[in-house]
Amino acid sequence: MHEQELIGRVLAGDPSAERALYDRHVDRVFRLVYRMAGDMDRAQDYTQETFIRAFEKLSEFRGEAALSTWLGSIAISITLNGLRKVRRTWDREMNLDDGLPTGRMDREAEPDLKERLSRAIDDLPEGYRAVFVMHDVEGYTHQEIATSLGVHPGTSKAQLFRARARLREALADFAKE
Amino acid sequence: MVDDSFDNQLRDAARSYNQPPETPRDEMWAAIAVRRAKKTERPDNTERVITPLRPPRHHLRPLVWPIGIAALLAIGVGLGRITAPRPETAPTLVATVAAPRVNDVAYRVAATEHLSQSESFLTLFRASVSRGGSEQLASATARQLLATNRLLLDSPAASDNRTRLLLQDLELVLAQIAQLSNRPGSADLDLITDGLEDSGVMSRLRTAVPSGTSTTQGVL
Repeated sequence: MHEQELIGRVLAGDPSAERALYDRHVDRVFRLVYRMAGDMDRAQDYTQETFIRAFEKLSEFRGEAALSTWLGSIAISITLNGLRKVRRTWDREMNLDDGLPTGRMDREAEPDLKERLSRAIDDLPEGYRAVFVMHDVEGYTHQEIATSLGVHPGTSKAQLFRARARLREALADFAKE
Repeated sequence: MVDDSFDNQLRDAARSYNQPPETPRDEMWAAIAVRRAKKTERPDNTERVITPLRPPRHHLRPLVWPIGIAALLAIGVGLGRITAPRPETAPTLVATVAAPRVNDVAYRVAATEHLSQSESFLTLFRASVSRGGSEQLASATARQLLATNRLLLDSPAASDNRTRLLLQDLELVLAQIAQLSNRPGSADLDLITDGLEDSGVMSRLRTAVPSGTSTTQGVL
């Protein structure tokens, strides 16, 4: 079924069309959200919120971008907001309990490239991390990223360039080997 | 060459970053159905049960933004007068002991005024969002409040832990509203209003602001 037809049926209140739309896009949304959140509970929560919001706002979808891009923009917005809240809670707990080591700090001193890279990606500024994950990990185009994040495609390219540079810097010792 | 091969290595390794498991489609779909059902039930129930504590203030809407901005300016001028250096005319001992206390009180008054303004603004913002109000105007007011908020965060008013945390949370909300003018009509509006409820900023503001006039005014 064509996407416009499917959207029309959802707007007309057809529950099977809602499920069909969900099935068509949920994998891509969940993958992106999980990559960003790195946690099953949060990934499920943010994915659910994305679709709830999408069904509520579907009548406002004008078709200027693909539905998948529109869903991606909702997903990334919800995820970044959710992660900011989590970070604030962590910060407060760390203030109360200064010096307590987190799980991440307990990692071995000499991890392999994947583990070091994973940690380096975690440490990227929020905007860089989103662009890097969307482009290099999940294969989004710069146009899709720009629409999702509400930025110019040139900004997306610049942020990706800087993100890669930071990762190269963080993993410089691997590059020399 | 080395860079290219390292970049390729990097890209390969990046694919394992937070590797997603299989999508729990049915589990999430069931949860979505439950949450949507709850959302659609809620408005009817709340309308029947809840009686508004305050009279509706919609008729004041057109006046509130200018009043808010004027009040902020007044706070700024007040703070400036209190904190500006004055010519030394009185004996020094009394002045040096009394000055910090007066300043602390002034900052507390300013913080209370600011929190009160913010509460009114956010209440109106929520109301105007549901009625499709002007995001541009809200964004401009949020920027003004944000400036005051940042000044207060760097002032002795933030020495109290509870006030500081509230100002920090408020800063986040105001920053989100201030950015609305860059992306008008986006789903961020809902995220902001939901965020207001989730973080309890509104209820904490109401708790922090004494009802009626400022209780610390008499001290000055």
